Amino acid sequence: MPITTTRRRLLAGSAAALALPAFARAQGAVKPRLTVISQWSAGSDGAAITALGKKFEEKGGVWQHSPVPGFTTEMMNKLRAQIIAGDPPACSQLKGPEIAAWSKIAPTVDLDAAVAAAGYEKVVAPDLAKLHKPAGKWIALPLQIYSTNMLFLSKRAMDKAKADKPPVTWADFNALAEKMKSAGMTYPLANGGTRPDDGQKFEASFAGISPTAYRAAIMNLDKKALEGPEIKAAFAQTRKIADWCDPNVGAQPYATNLKRFVDGDMGMLIMGGWAQGVLKNAGFKFDDYVIVPGPSDNGKPVFLLNADAFIFWQRKEADLQAGQMLMAQLVMDPTIQTMYSQITGSIPVRTDVDLSGEGWSDGQRTTAAALKNAVGNNQAVLSLAHNMAQENGLTAAMIDVITEYVKNKSIKPEQAVSRLADAVEGAR
Amino acid sequence: MQHGVISGDGSLRMRDRGFAPSRALIYLVVTLFAAAYLAPLVVVVLNSLRTDEEIAQSSMIGWPQHLAWGNYALAWSGFCVAETCAGIRPYMLNSALITIPATIFSTLLGAVAGYAVSLWRFRGDVWVYGIVTLGLFLPQQMRLLPWTIVLRDIGLINTLTGLVLIHTIQGLSFTVLFCRNYYIAIPHELIRAARVDGAGFFRIFWRIILPLSSPILIVTVIWQFTHIWNEFLYGVTFTTGQQQPVTAALIALSAAVADIPHHGVQSAAVIIAALPTLLIYLFGGRYFVRGLTAGAVK
Amino acid sequence: MTDVVSTATRPGQSATSEMLRRLPEFLMIWVPLLLSAAHLVTFSIWTIWISFTPSTLVPVTGWVGLRNYTAVLASRNWQIAFDNLLLFGTAFVLFSLVTGLLLAILLDQRIRGENVLRTIFLYPLAVSFVVTGTVWSWLLNPGIGIEKLVHDLGWITFKFDWLVDRDMAIWTIVIAAIWQSSGFAMALFLAGLRSVDADIIKAAQIDGAGPVRTYWRVVLPTLWPITITVVVVQLQFAISAFDLVRALTNGGPGIATQLPALVVYDLMFQRSQLGRGAAAAVLMLLILLAVLLPYAAWRYLRRRQSAHA
Repeated sequence: MPITTTRRRLLAGSAAALALPAFARAQGAVKPRLTVISQWSAGSDGAAITALGKKFEEKGGVWQHSPVPGFTTEMMNKLRAQIIAGDPPACSQLKGPEIAAWSKIAPTVDLDAAVAAAGYEKVVAPDLAKLHKPAGKWIALPLQIYSTNMLFLSKRAMDKAKADKPPVTWADFNALAEKMKSAGMTYPLANGGTRPDDGQKFEASFAGISPTAYRAAIMNLDKKALEGPEIKAAFAQTRKIADWCDPNVGAQPYATNLKRFVDGDMGMLIMGGWAQGVLKNAGFKFDDYVIVPGPSDNGKPVFLLNADAFIFWQRKEADLQAGQMLMAQLVMDPTIQTMYSQITGSIPVRTDVDLSGEGWSDGQRTTAAALKNAVGNNQAVLSLAHNMAQENGLTAAMIDVITEYVKNKSIKPEQAVSRLADAVEGAR
Repeated sequence: MQHGVISGDGSLRMRDRGFAPSRALIYLVVTLFAAAYLAPLVVVVLNSLRTDEEIAQSSMIGWPQHLAWGNYALAWSGFCVAETCAGIRPYMLNSALITIPATIFSTLLGAVAGYAVSLWRFRGDVWVYGIVTLGLFLPQQMRLLPWTIVLRDIGLINTLTGLVLIHTIQGLSFTVLFCRNYYIAIPHELIRAARVDGAGFFRIFWRIILPLSSPILIVTVIWQFTHIWNEFLYGVTFTTGQQQPVTAALIALSAAVADIPHHGVQSAAVIIAALPTLLIYLFGGRYFVRGLTAGAVK
Repeated sequence: MTDVVSTATRPGQSATSEMLRRLPEFLMIWVPLLLSAAHLVTFSIWTIWISFTPSTLVPVTGWVGLRNYTAVLASRNWQIAFDNLLLFGTAFVLFSLVTGLLLAILLDQRIRGENVLRTIFLYPLAVSFVVTGTVWSWLLNPGIGIEKLVHDLGWITFKFDWLVDRDMAIWTIVIAAIWQSSGFAMALFLAGLRSVDADIIKAAQIDGAGPVRTYWRVVLPTLWPITITVVVVQLQFAISAFDLVRALTNGGPGIATQLPALVVYDLMFQRSQLGRGAAAAVLMLLILLAVLLPYAAWRYLRRRQSAHA
């Protein structure tokens, strides 16, 4: 029996009645408020989240950001303490597989409706999206993407070494490094000595040699790949890279070498796009350096993904819930993503943002093109050094092996391979 | 043969005339040590007066080319921790609000407990005293999560009061140890006589013990103040945002991986943050040693 | 041991009113002491319990037997940390003892400027561990610190790169730690030196001993109890040294300067492996007990001796 007009009107009426509370919420019946925890208290990260906060307040919200000084561990400590205390922040920084792990200890907000309304899922790389919907529902939203294996080349150093072509394969890279050395640069590579930095040296080598082997070994923990020839070659390449770094850097971050890099005393830097934000904040110009995708032996760019995200914890308060919705909308908004990425040097998560306009650097354009290319060729993999490929415990165990290998020249690649396999077994 | 001379207080001293070489040797060694001990302070003070660029251009150790007093201004009220650009000043206040009450409470309670344990024996006191002093050796990481649970259950998480509570209870381990070792030396006759005269526990404490306690109280106050002021782990975990103690602000200033190091401003901030404790040791150092001399060591 | 002061009721008072009268003192004595003792005992038991559970991000119930312990003991991190603790602990305690004693003896010589010097040796105690670690990490870094300074001054073959040398990095921690805490040892020794009985020294002088011999034969032996105290305090510092090491080397280069306190923090909070972190913490406690129990036994025996003497 067809639906009569009265019933239709009844249906329409009840639908409207149901929609009214949501409508009222959206109209700001409650002033949205957001409590946020992150580690971003300084530098370009601090500036970016502060700018995001201003936008939040422009839309009528109350922004309560608590940066936790220190690194991610301190932030996680604070988050854990808050969760145990039964008082999680409405929104916190979290990323990678940790999102899945932490979502098991406290209830999160189901963002599927908001994501669908914004059509966000269509414009996010599938590998990335998976990390943020661990049980099939969106509970976190990625905000910015970095590649951890971009190659920064100092213009002055390239001139000194009389090199004009950026290297494409690892063989090219090695040749260029040797050239720079003979041009007088004792240490052609400006990388630092922190744990993530050492991890980056390794993962850039491994993924550049074979993204398929990297995916199998590091992301899927496949036993055969963990003992194969590619990983051994990766360690050998890492040794070469380590030898080209200044041993005096100790455990200092790469930032201490930036001046020498720009001046031409060091020529290359394997780093993520955030270095661009750091360089900009330190007063250096885009003209001082060139960014190209990291070396890849098959000629096509390999993209080691690192993406920050915000996770939303369930709260009963209406104003916090409104704040969460507002924050979700902002994070998915292309203008906000543009603003954020332009401050930090990352690229937006949305694949539909046009980077040809003002405010974007060539490096960012290169990175975005590399991402598109890599996704198309299935060469976009998750970074180990930045906790995207595995959970923190396993990652730390693997980085233990890698950083020891980098700092101890007497460890052979074969030994490193077996130690890494042991570490994976031990931390399982 | 060298002859020493006994001075009035029983210490040994080389005679000044005729044995100048040994004396000179003493002065030389002491000066070398003093230089080594002063070096880090000097470096930081000098760096606090150099601009960040200057430090980046040369080494961490150098003489300032111009006196960058601006570093201090920035450190005191200018530098930004995310949204708030108020420098280190608000955090200093927080640290004071945590440290002063906790020091006072843990000292007072420790004195009373030490007095009780040493002069008024009661059942089980040895055991309790033993456990309390064993607390000096319990690592702080083991206490972090349990304290979270406790603070949650009594509703004091993210409050300065919660931190004061933690530091008071933890400080008892030290204050009871020191006070008890000090009070042990007080003659029991004194107490007995007072009791005979009709004085009770607190009267004796107020009239007799407390006036005698200044050496050890100074030691305890100095020690507690220093430890609580300089504490980082609990300070960061159990406070948020604007309530954090000054140690957190220092970390925020230096843990910037996403940033060129700002060693000049950082050094100025370090000096400002360390001033209270430095001044305490500057003016109270003599009393500190005196207090330790007065029998704290057993 | 006899009661110092009788706590018996005074004649003519009823038991209840006596108790009420003594309530405030019970409260002020017992409440803090019990709180302190209770929190220590419960936290320790809690940690021991957690070490037997499969806790990762947050504490959970469950039982995994000794698996956490075997995992920790088998990890390179812990093995290196344990070896480092032995090395660092011994070196640090020994050198800070010697340094403290030397400084105390020097200061005891009635030299001019004693007040200033005492302050100079004491002020490092006022500095937080994090600042100490950070400042020394600047000074000892060959690229920006002392080595660079000496190079700039002309002596370009000078090397002082212990901080980035895997084998020598642990000694940088020893240096920074001694700088920080030998002032306390000095203060204790100075206190001890100043309280040596003048008559004993006079007697030695009459016997014809010179200052050096007097120190060696007469004064130093009386410092034995203080020395033990200093050793215990410094050992406690060595075992739980955390902020300092984190700021100075962060366990590096690589994992060459790992120490148990760092491993505990790392496992518990960085790697979100609470169960394993708790196991490592309990192991740390056992190490501490291995040091403390002999000390406590020694004190007990001494007391028994002096009671019988």
